[in-house]
Amino acid sequence: MASPGGEGSRRNGPNESLRSFTERKKHEHSNPEGISALYEELFGDEDNERPCYLPDSGEEDNRVAEQDGTISREEKGGGDWKVERELRKEEGTSAEEAGPKMSNELGAGDLREDSGRGHEGEILQLRDQELSTRNGGSAESSSTEQSVVLDGELSSDRGLDGPVSPTSSQGGTSGYMAGSGSSSASTSSISGTEAANDQESEGTGNRKEERGAWVPGKRHLQEDDTHPSWRRHKKHFFILSNAGKPIYSRYGDEHKLAGFSATLQAIMSFVENSGDTVRLVRAGDHQIVFLVRGPVYLVCISSTDEPFQLLRDQLELLHGQLLLILTRAVEKCFLKNSKFDMRPLLGGTDVVFSSLIHAFSWDPATFLKAYACLPLPYGARQAACGALQDMTDTGVLFSVLMCGNKVISLVGSRKASLHPHDLLLLSNFISSSESFRTSESFSPVCLPRYDSTAFMHAYVQYLTKDTCLILLTTDPNDFFHLKECRAQIEIVLRESDVLREVENSIERGGLRIEDMPESEGSPSESGSTRGDRASDDATSTSAPEAVPGTGGPAGLWHFIYRSTYLDQFISSEFSPPLNTRSAQKRLYRAYQKLHASMHNTEGGGPHKMQYRRDEFHVLLSWRTSDFELYAAFDPLAEKSSAIFVCNRICQWIRDMEAEVFLLGAAPFNW
Amino acid sequence: MSARKRTLLKVIILGDSGVGKTSLMNQYVNKKFTAQYKATIGADFLTKEVQVDDRLVTMQIWDTAGQERFQSLGVAFYRGADCCVLVYDVNVMRSFDNLENWREEFLIQASPHDPENFPFVVLGNKVDVDGGNSRVVSEKKAKAWCTAHGNIPYFETSAKEDYNVDAAFQCIAKNALKNETEEEIYLPDTIDVAQNRPTKSSACEC
Repeated sequence: MASPGGEGSRRNGPNESLRSFTERKKHEHSNPEGISALYEELFGDEDNERPCYLPDSGEEDNRVAEQDGTISREEKGGGDWKVERELRKEEGTSAEEAGPKMSNELGAGDLREDSGRGHEGEILQLRDQELSTRNGGSAESSSTEQSVVLDGELSSDRGLDGPVSPTSSQGGTSGYMAGSGSSSASTSSISGTEAANDQESEGTGNRKEERGAWVPGKRHLQEDDTHPSWRRHKKHFFILSNAGKPIYSRYGDEHKLAGFSATLQAIMSFVENSGDTVRLVRAGDHQIVFLVRGPVYLVCISSTDEPFQLLRDQLELLHGQLLLILTRAVEKCFLKNSKFDMRPLLGGTDVVFSSLIHAFSWDPATFLKAYACLPLPYGARQAACGALQDMTDTGVLFSVLMCGNKVISLVGSRKASLHPHDLLLLSNFISSSESFRTSESFSPVCLPRYDSTAFMHAYVQYLTKDTCLILLTTDPNDFFHLKECRAQIEIVLRESDVLREVENSIERGGLRIEDMPESEGSPSESGSTRGDRASDDATSTSAPEAVPGTGGPAGLWHFIYRSTYLDQFISSEFSPPLNTRSAQKRLYRAYQKLHASMHNTEGGGPHKMQYRRDEFHVLLSWRTSDFELYAAFDPLAEKSSAIFVCNRICQWIRDMEAEVFLLGAAPFNW
Repeated sequence: MSARKRTLLKVIILGDSGVGKTSLMNQYVNKKFTAQYKATIGADFLTKEVQVDDRLVTMQIWDTAGQERFQSLGVAFYRGADCCVLVYDVNVMRSFDNLENWREEFLIQASPHDPENFPFVVLGNKVDVDGGNSRVVSEKKAKAWCTAHGNIPYFETSAKEDYNVDAAFQCIAKNALKNETEEEIYLPDTIDVAQNRPTKSSACEC
């Protein structure tokens, strides 16, 4: 394993590019030329490299200490851990430490999710779990490991509390919770082992999946709240009626969870009785977020450390998905009959909800309130818009041409506007339902932001394997007209080569940071940093392939750019070193937090600019009236060059605006 | 959500404290009995899957606390119940007298659609105690009360001896199912463009 100043990593493949351990942080740098006064004002006097707005910067030292402990632990664990990345010590230390993040070397077949900053505890436990697996998996070994490794503040929540379960006796936080088990009396089954196994949950069985790939249908169906494995899932979603009858659960069978549903309803009703509404319960590292929408209750129980507001927004989207399938008219059924069971009406839609919940962890559209376009030559997109526009004049309310979850073209009739969330929910509904792929369909859908009380009808047909045409009408008898429209649109799209351009675009993939053009004004410092890095790599490692894996200019790893006026965003593809799902998810979670804090109106926000550094990334976000930019860099990236690169990204996007965005998209400009 | 339709029944158990509500439920669901008394706090929830004729039914059983201080749980708690089980102790007259109050309380709070025909089941528990010698409420008296309140089915049970418990709950499930309202056809509106579009589009805030 890593020893200070030496090369300790193992390479398991040519694609695993690691950064050198011997790399030093450069403390002294002058601001490069070309940085605006704004930057100087914000960062000019920051010579201690602290994140400008990082609220919890005091944790840093603790973390380093934790890492020290970890490393010795790692050595004991021995074997074939593969170190994906290394850590930088905070201030003035000479050696770099090996970070604790392990890749999936064990054949356990599960990929762990972790949740961004402040999760050393999880990582340590991950290792604990793997160690115990290795040692035959005894609970004792796991919990001992924990108590040894986890000292300091981080041991607090995890080790003691374990995953919360409202059905178990949680120290009598509420009279309701105490003693409310379900059919088998397993209220006290939470142990250190379970906490240690906490990682398995979300990614179980997905290890080989590419990002975005998703296994349809509900997993872990056999579980219920008495199963330890059920309790270990990191993020649960529940929908229930205000009588406590289950409607949907992300994991496990709804009927078997009837007792658990009842518990949730009892908690919510108890607060409701006092004329109030419960919004959030924190229990250890779990957040239980409640949302009441008429007779429908939505609950999220999460240990992913996502911001509260974000989880609430996710519940709102989940409710939106429910409305998209049933409309708000379903609420009348509850008024007429409080015993009403909604589940039969939702038959077969499990997959729609599961797919949306999956998107919460992978699709920035879910928190950016924006949609992404498929990059296309301007002419091709214009041709597609033209084809759709002609049909819109014949009574189609909205015409959407999509490729996966990316928009190729979108046209609305005059005065009609489509909310990005409606588009997200519609696209999720269609892409997750397999039956749309096989034949042309005409399905009632409700766009909750457009009109939540009533259905409109969607004509859906896949023109190619990935490209899907959606025509929305308000006339339930419009099928044959829309079929005709589709035929005409298809002819135009084929004749004008739009479909071929789409195929080309899919083949090319999205934007890659490596492709960002060099700018003439590149500061010499940035160049030399790269040079040093490259030579360090070359000397300290024997694999020269490592160099490309260090990301783009100035250690740029990834970015998301959101256009304010267009309600559209573009993000770069994940490229090395972000080539594991766990690294990608960690970055995604970090973006979520950053976005939340940028928009947070409490606690000093909203912000115009933030620069954060933690042990995994440098994150820079910048918000103007025109755009929001979120960029992730190597944790060693220097502030000044990072800022310089952000400017280049913006310029790059502006240069490509006509290709990566749908310009003049009437439905969003009113 | 499986293709086959499954029914979920919300069953609420009411009665004075100490009459054996929790014990009945535990005997039914877990086949366990303990003589130790442990007051229920608020409510307990258990689920049990049963077969009624050819239907698979999940019973969501709400075991409530009998103490008066929990009576405030009220409306939200009873909402959407499919069946209400009233329990008394055949050895305690007061618990029988209170059935009237429990029933009324439930009808007020739950305000079911058709209160006259709402399915109740009455259980006279603890028939095993002292070989029946300490009994103060006769079966005849109990049955008369049930008949007077709309022919409520009546069972004499012993949670301790597992006497009649299964039969009672089977009857509870059956009665709840019988009362199931006819599934209404769900037909939401379609957007009326002419009427809605101008207002809706301007009202939509992004």
